[in-house]
Amino acid sequence: MSTALWIAVVASALGTLLMRVVPFLWMQRRIDSTTGLNNMPQWLTILGPLMIAAVLGVSIMPVNPSAISWIATAIGLGVTLMVWWRLRSLGWPVAAGVAVYGAVQLVAAGVG
Amino acid sequence: MKPLAAPRRSPAWLTGVREAIPLLGGYIPVALSFGVVATQAGFSTWEAAVISTLIYAGASQFLFVGMVAAGSPLWLVVAMTLLINVRHLVYGPNLAALLPRSRHWPWLMHGLTDQVFALALTRLPQLPAADRFGWFTGAALLAWGVWIVGTVIGATAGETLTARWPLLGEVMPFALPALFLTMVAPRFTDKRWAVALSAAIGSALLLTLYGWSNVAIPLAATSGALCFYMVKFKAGRCNP
Repeated sequence: MSTALWIAVVASALGTLLMRVVPFLWMQRRIDSTTGLNNMPQWLTILGPLMIAAVLGVSIMPVNPSAISWIATAIGLGVTLMVWWRLRSLGWPVAAGVAVYGAVQLVAAGVG
Repeated sequence: MKPLAAPRRSPAWLTGVREAIPLLGGYIPVALSFGVVATQAGFSTWEAAVISTLIYAGASQFLFVGMVAAGSPLWLVVAMTLLINVRHLVYGPNLAALLPRSRHWPWLMHGLTDQVFALALTRLPQLPAADRFGWFTGAALLAWGVWIVGTVIGATAGETLTARWPLLGEVMPFALPALFLTMVAPRFTDKRWAVALSAAIGSALLLTLYGWSNVAIPLAATSGALCFYMVKFKAGRCNP
């Protein structure tokens, strides 16, 4: 890589790191300060869970979209939700969902 | 007589490592793909590894190597890479109250990706305050390490691997929506949250379907927030 390209990599990395670090440290200082501004803004506490929901929405899209992969996604998410409803944990629902998603894909590949 | 031994608890960092494992189902195939794409774009294996180590943000890395390969001006490459990563601005403040003060945050926050943020925002409130730093360190370092190793493997043997086990590359990424579903489900606590979360999920999926995945997360979260405030306004009118 040329020197200019290395500078571009470092600039992108540094900018991304600053976007991750600076708001975090700023909010920690604000929370610990004695100026009375020690609460998180309400909009920020609302935006956090909605960001996770948005990440979920983006990740639902199958790697290779097709009727089978969409059906496998729907069934896999349904199973994940059912296992979560019973166990209220993170690990087993994910394992069950992935297993069922993979099984549907395998069955479809076998039938096809 | 000896006192009864307290039940042994795993160290906090190990709990973080264990709980971050489902994230790898999404990380490994994407890191492998990045390795393949970067080498096809003319980067060497170690250059791809350095990009994954330093930038460590999936979508923007693909954009970076794609734009460089297309001969775009470097200032534009940097600007677009940073623009895609702007969403990270709201992640840190959400975790600030959940994590203790530490001089290590300036480098540890490098590990604050979309997925680590989602996992941390869900799990940290459930952990004792003393365990949170170790948990975050374990989870973030595992994800970062796997991302780098995945890139190297992808750059050296990615095409062979995906040709040999094509279905694996399709099945493993399903761990991500499954994991995020278990994080979002407990937040459907009332009608207002249900509407806002459904709007965010639906609009993110639609934007992704139409090829706008780079801006889907901030736009979808904003649309969910708008729904959240609109539902409150309507409820207030109905029940003064």
